[in-house]
Amino acid sequence: MKWLEVFLTIDRRIIFAVVGFVLVLPIIFPFGFRTPVTPPTQKLYDAVEAIPARDKALTISVDYAPQTEPELHPMTIALLRHAFSRRKYVLILALYVQGLGLAEDALRTVVGEFNERATSPADSILYGRDYVFLGWQPPPVIPILGMGTSIRGVFPRDYYGNETDTLAMMKEIDSYSDMDLLVSISGGTPPVWYVAYAQSRFGIKVGAGITAVSVADFFPYLETGQFSGMLAGIKGAAEYEELVARNLGLEDRRKAMEGMSSQAAAHIAIMAFVILGNIGYFAKRKRRP
Amino acid sequence: MKRTFPLGIVLVTGLLGVVPFFVPHPIVQQADDIIRNKLLRIISMFALILGLGSLIRHNIEKIRRKNEHWPYSYILFGSLVITAIIGVGGGIDGAGRLPTVVGGFRFDIQTLYANIVVPLGGTMFALLAFFMSSAAYRAFRVHTLTAALLLISAFVVMLGMVPLGDFLGLRFSEIGQWILTVPNTASKRGIMIGVALGVIATSLKIILGVERKWLGGER
Amino acid sequence: MNVNPDPWVWIAAFLTLAIFSFLYKENPFYRVAEYTFVGVSNGYFISLMWHNVAIPVLVNPLRSAAAQAGEEGLSPGLFNPVNDANFLLLIPMFIGLLYLSRFFRRVSWLVRIPIAFYLGYYMGLSIPTILEASVLRQIRGTILTQETFSDWAAGLWAVVVLVGVVCTIIYFFFSREHKGVLGAASKVGIVFVMVGFGASFGYTVMARIALAIGRIIFLLRDWIGLIQ
Repeated sequence: MKWLEVFLTIDRRIIFAVVGFVLVLPIIFPFGFRTPVTPPTQKLYDAVEAIPARDKALTISVDYAPQTEPELHPMTIALLRHAFSRRKYVLILALYVQGLGLAEDALRTVVGEFNERATSPADSILYGRDYVFLGWQPPPVIPILGMGTSIRGVFPRDYYGNETDTLAMMKEIDSYSDMDLLVSISGGTPPVWYVAYAQSRFGIKVGAGITAVSVADFFPYLETGQFSGMLAGIKGAAEYEELVARNLGLEDRRKAMEGMSSQAAAHIAIMAFVILGNIGYFAKRKRRP
Repeated sequence: MKRTFPLGIVLVTGLLGVVPFFVPHPIVQQADDIIRNKLLRIISMFALILGLGSLIRHNIEKIRRKNEHWPYSYILFGSLVITAIIGVGGGIDGAGRLPTVVGGFRFDIQTLYANIVVPLGGTMFALLAFFMSSAAYRAFRVHTLTAALLLISAFVVMLGMVPLGDFLGLRFSEIGQWILTVPNTASKRGIMIGVALGVIATSLKIILGVERKWLGGER
Repeated sequence: MNVNPDPWVWIAAFLTLAIFSFLYKENPFYRVAEYTFVGVSNGYFISLMWHNVAIPVLVNPLRSAAAQAGEEGLSPGLFNPVNDANFLLLIPMFIGLLYLSRFFRRVSWLVRIPIAFYLGYYMGLSIPTILEASVLRQIRGTILTQETFSDWAAGLWAVVVLVGVVCTIIYFFFSREHKGVLGAASKVGIVFVMVGFGASFGYTVMARIALAIGRIIFLLRDWIGLIQ
């Protein structure tokens, strides 16, 4: 049927317009979306829950850039909400310079949320007592290996220029042996670097928050237990937000959930485009002798 | 000498990289710390300066030769210099010597990052959603059985991420998880082992001086 | 609608729309935004490198060493690599400066020296770590043990994974022709590889769409306040 071949000739700007429409409309008129929690996300949540409060630290390595911020930033925020809510010590660092501004933004957002609700200093989240932002020290192998011996040796000063020695929390936390879990949130291979260099040598437990592009490639590390848990793209972030909201009663803004309706609609649109393209292709192939 | 000396350095530093993994003696570990934290860290700082120098040189050449889009190189230089001055002079938090607040309008380095770098970087990658849709429509053709397998696997995984599949009672999310856990893990693990063995072989070749392409063409 | 009065939000929105305009066609707004991005990113990088790396790692220790030398003279401690303040830091500084020889043709071969330090150490470091993390642990995760068959379903899928890993490796083994048993195994391998790539494609779609959604939510919510 020759008319089916028209499916081969759709101008790309029409495709762009349709995709744009499909993305925008569900944001303005979202439909209800249940987010069942998958095992990798649950594993990471349980690993964070298991960290002994006011004893061992959760370290979050913010290893992403603005290019992957929409997928990964909600993970950092949800993890911080979880950790602060359970009064875990939190260390934050970045393996890339672009992660610094994003880490600071996440801290400002979450610390602001908690301190707005706090009724006393004991309730509040205080810098130096509850969390420390170490900053960035290139190249990545320096902090990954250096923290196995001494955090102060790698970060003599924190991001804000304070001597690391003078911060209350750092009197108890000085190496991987004082951390229970390290979560690398990244758009690339840093989680694997932590597994290869830090875990194989110092035995630190590693969790990962990764873009959806890397999920299929990194799944073997989850299966062997090298990752203690994994957040898979924006859906993983939405699942973690769901766990945090459900279990901890935190009703703050859920950035990942906001986009899930659009996500669903766009998936269906792209599948439709692929099907249309193939219908046109097979119609043309049949017509040719 | 121009090639032998660097090859000798690679051999020595290569051994210095391997040994601490196997020798937990405190002296070896301390030496490893010094090599990493004091030697390599400072050397790599200047590598980043090299990258910057290359960018500046490339754009100066562009302006000199009036290559395509050459006037925009002035925008690059202007924004680079202004941002660097604000950042170095104004400090991380805007607490430096250079004032970064004028009448309530902040322009410290973090504000510039959050309102210029983040939107620009994010939007550049956001374009990929549109290009990917167009590319999937044009190029994803089910020529063969294996291509059909790829398509079915992709569709099952994509439907597993949206409520439609579960709404139709088809349990796509569970099937999608199974695809990740079993066939995907098997194939990616096989590829990972192969790639890792290749990386190890190449690393050994570089350390032992068998692989010398990194030296460049000049003798 | 509740339009944000913050000028920085308007600047961010303008830059976002300038990049999105490329979807229609190439235009000067897009180019201005693109070059601004490169300039501001590199300026940011210079600032953070100065404050977070150069000052605490090189400038301050050398300054402390010079001050100490001025007060107490040149003591052996100032040449002890273990101490934070020591003049031996000048050695990596001069090695690092050799990177700049790249810009002068006659001495450009000197750039090989600092490259050799970093390359050699990194190559040496990666051998045992990658062997452990990406080979031995993965093989351990594939091997079947008694514990694997504690649950029949898990045991069955573990056998499938083992077959898949072996067949995938065989598929990428090109030193012998894929005939007979090798040929059959490589055909099984390609099935696993294609299913894996399909999963990768599915997740890639999700990733790319999420990036676009993030920017659209910024425009609709943070800029013009169309959604709450």
